[in-house]
Parts: sequence; C-alpha cells; structure tokens
Amino acid sequence: MTELKALKKPEITHTQLVRYAGASGDFNPIHTVVPVGEKAGLGGVIAHGMLIMGMAGEALGTWFPRKDLRMFKVRFSKMTRPGEKLAIEGKVTKEIVEEGEKRLAGEVFVKNEKGELKLSGKFQVKI
Amino acid sequence: MYQFMESLLVEEIKIEPFSFEIERGKIKEFVMAIGDPNPIYYDVKTARKMGYRDIPVPPTFPTAIEMWGGLDFETLIDLLDLDPLKVLHGGQEYRYIGELYAGDTVTAFPKLISAFEKRNLRFFTIGITYKNSNGELVLYSESTIIERGGSIK
Repeated sequence: MTELKALKKPEITHTQLVRYAGASGDFNPIHTVVPVGEKAGLGGVIAHGMLIMGMAGEALGTWFPRKDLRMFKVRFSKMTRPGEKLAIEGKVTKEIVEEGEKRLAGEVFVKNEKGELKLSGKFQVKI
Repeated sequence: MYQFMESLLVEEIKIEPFSFEIERGKIKEFVMAIGDPNPIYYDVKTARKMGYRDIPVPPTFPTAIEMWGGLDFETLIDLLDLDPLKVLHGGQEYRYIGELYAGDTVTAFPKLISAFEKRNLRFFTIGITYKNSNGELVLYSESTIIERGGSIK
C-alpha cells in the first residue's frame, strides 16, 4: 500500500459555489441562495457534492496522468459549507487486472480540518 | 405525494438523449471553479506535449455536459417528481472508456436504472452512456440521487 501526497485546498468561499454553479450548470439554489438553504433546513448553503468530487479529481491529476484514469467512484458522506478547508488524501491499495489491463486500484478521501469525512471514493488507473 | 412504485417508475420514465459540444473555454471555466491548476486544462500546447490530442476533459467534467446538455437540476426535479429542497447527491461513478477532448461532440443516452425507498429516503440511480461522433462508447456515468423524506421546515 502506497500513501499518496495529500492535496490541501484553500478555504471554500460562497463565491466559489456561485462560480461552480455557473461552470457546472447545477443551479440548485441550496448551493447559492442562503434563504433557500435555510428553508431546506440546512442552516445556509452547502457546497455541490460534485465540487468536492472535482477536488478529489484534481488530486488524482497530481498523482497520475489524466489519460490513465479508468474508474472514479465516490460516496458523499457529509455536507460541506463555505469557510471549510479541505484536504484530499489517497492511497494505492493493490494491483488488479480488469478488462485485460493491468491497473492500480486505490482509495481517496476528502476531509476537513477537524478530520470529518466529506467524501470517500475508489479509483483505478492504468499502469 | 405520489405513490412510489419502483418498477412502474423505472419502466415509465424515459429520458431523451442529448448532444454536447465540448469547448476549451468551458473546460477552463470548470477547472477554475474547482481551483485545479493542472496546465493540461489551460494550454493546448502543454496538453499536446503531454500526449493529449487537445485539452482533455477533467474527470468530473461530464457533470457539466449533463447539466448544460439537457439533464439539468430543474429537468431532473420534474422528471422524477422530487421536492427540490430535499434532494441530495448521494454518489457518483465514472468509467472512462475512451478519450474525450475539447472539439469533440458527445451524445449522452440517459436511463433511470433504479428507484427504491429505504428508511424514509428515496434513492434514484441514473446511468448515462456517452458516445463520440463516431458512435464509439467513450464514457459511462452513474449518479445516485437521494430525496430526504420526513418533515423539513
């Protein structure tokens, strides 16, 4: 098992959520409009899960060439709010053969500064 | 509140295919929003030097293809009859089968795969196969959407 170098991201801002909404096309107002987030019982806006997965994808790109990525799968476990600082950790767990190709299989985790898990995922890259 | 009958729902709900032209500018906007500084997404010369045909799509870019291409949040809410304030993204999977670059046009074929209820939560899984303009399968995406039940103020 090989630990990969953790990627530390700057604090998530409200502006970043607005920007990600525009870039991704996900205009669900619970991510951008505070009164809607409050009405939804969330106490304010929450980050798009896909933004957090995007950050995990950024980390994958620092660990492996983009073109070698074959599979990337995540579960979102906890909501993220503006003001939180996230770090992406990863490890390679084993060598596998899938679809006749030798691959590395690994795991990726996104946590905040308190160590709360936001996302856990798995990936496969071609060797 | 509608009657939740999974087999019926999965049978009945048809989602139209849609096409999307991938542009360099859209990719740049997307990685800037994430804060991903990888130069292969910004500079086509660097990308080519690294062995890419053009600017490649970032791993989670298919979400932009879906949202901007036709399967946006409002469409999904209407299609599955969801309460927008109670919808969460539970999980996401991508299988990267072929290569996808700026300049390519992809066609997405979405399908509702499953719908079930568990402990006051409703789970929907949507699978999307993507083909390039030569008709080759390039990507598979699977999203799990959760609708929280119970009383939300």
